[in-house]
Amino acid sequence: MKEIIKITMSLTAICVAAALILGAVFAKTEHARKDIEEKMQQETIQSLLGFGPGKKIPESLKIYAVYRYVVNSPKGTVLGYVIPLKDKGFSLILVDLEGKPVQVLPIKADATAIADRGQRDAVVNELVGKGSKATYAETFYVAEEGGKRLGYVVPGVTQGFKTFINLMVSLNPDFTLTGIEIVRSEEDPGLGDEIKKDFFKNQFDGKSLESIKTLKVVKEPLPSDYYLALEPEKAKKQGIKPEELAQIKEKHLKDDIYALTGATISSRAVTDGVKNTVRKFVYRLGILTDALKQEKVPAAFLGEV
Amino acid sequence: MNRNLTLLWNGLIPENPIFRLALSLCPAVAVTTSIENGLLLGIAVIFVQVLSSCTVAIFRPFIHPRIRIPAYVIVIALWVSVIDMILPVFSPEAYKKVELFVKLIVVFAIIISRLELFASKEPLVPSFFDGLGMGIGFTFGLVLTGAIREFFGAGQLLGYDILGFKPLLVMILPAGGFFVIGFIMAAFNWIEYKLTGKIPASGGGH
Repeated sequence: MKEIIKITMSLTAICVAAALILGAVFAKTEHARKDIEEKMQQETIQSLLGFGPGKKIPESLKIYAVYRYVVNSPKGTVLGYVIPLKDKGFSLILVDLEGKPVQVLPIKADATAIADRGQRDAVVNELVGKGSKATYAETFYVAEEGGKRLGYVVPGVTQGFKTFINLMVSLNPDFTLTGIEIVRSEEDPGLGDEIKKDFFKNQFDGKSLESIKTLKVVKEPLPSDYYLALEPEKAKKQGIKPEELAQIKEKHLKDDIYALTGATISSRAVTDGVKNTVRKFVYRLGILTDALKQEKVPAAFLGEV
Repeated sequence: MNRNLTLLWNGLIPENPIFRLALSLCPAVAVTTSIENGLLLGIAVIFVQVLSSCTVAIFRPFIHPRIRIPAYVIVIALWVSVIDMILPVFSPEAYKKVELFVKLIVVFAIIISRLELFASKEPLVPSFFDGLGMGIGFTFGLVLTGAIREFFGAGQLLGYDILGFKPLLVMILPAGGFFVIGFIMAAFNWIEYKLTGKIPASGGGH
């Protein structure tokens, strides 16, 4: 009896000590970790829009974040969008599932509060009132350069081989894909993990809205000239001119997505994810644009989306 | 030879965790699709093994023998979690690559078996060198397996194209891992047989 108490005490002490160390490390690193995550996300967005190493970000580039919420109220489910306004303020616009605007609510909070997930959630929940619950869904980004619409960056999620794959797609104003990025995935290294390679991701470049709708994955080997066109750095080493690469890309523009060897499921997952993300985004953006027009919301980005 | 050096050497070849002790074969098969993956996981294992061995060696008198296994698991989990939290702050790029593997280390048989067989009986300094030797031996095993699999399966080494085609795709599939590790194990046994003239005793594996 005595021994069991001793054992229990000893194990408890070990656990408490371990928990204390973990807590201390977590508290010390949490802030830095969040900052780095935020920075990496910004970099991902910029590189998807075509800026990054080698291409400087112009000062006239503005990226507006639009936060989408799902609001469950006793009357039914509506969607809530947090929209940046021209006068640096923010507004919450509620749209019902048919696309009719329900309500426009002004937000009394500054940009830093909106950027922080916890504070934003609290503000939105307070606005929608008691009995309703707003759940954060996602953030998409509208980019403008010198007062002209540059494109959109939209997050998406898809079921991969084992776990979910988080991706981001960038679209230009007429919804042609300009790039995809795998943000988070746990595919098998050496097989499904190849979805992160340029020669796979770049296959989505330039696919128009029409072709995305019917995009398929084909189990055929990737043509070798196309491979080089998709891996610009490797082509550079072999001395192939950018104009030739552009021609090859043009030739293969109508091609479907070539499956990765040994990772058809992962290839299909990404392709379906991209298709769904684009389809939903185009639909949602249409609704949001109509709502903004009808309610005459002075959104920070151009009215004629 | 100095005992500490002997311990280091012991982990590398005579008691190599993968090829001689046949421990932690699951992760060894799962991640060794390329040299890079093997190397990154190996380095993470070196850290966890050394830190856990040292912790257990220091706190040996306080760990009740009847709860030593849960205590070891907590120690390993503690260090794995600490690395998982600190690494993204110091080197986000490296973390992106090893993120997948780091959390797996908690359940590696090699680490807990070294704690049970060595660190729980020996003082700090030998435990450190045993942990380091085992970690390096494990890394060596992963890199060797990864190199063979990457070369035959993907026609590459360290991500650089060597062959330009993929001679044996099966090598980067899980089955290929068993083949490669089996062949290397056989080679180790054959060398030992040639050197000592004795048929090696079989190791116990997980």
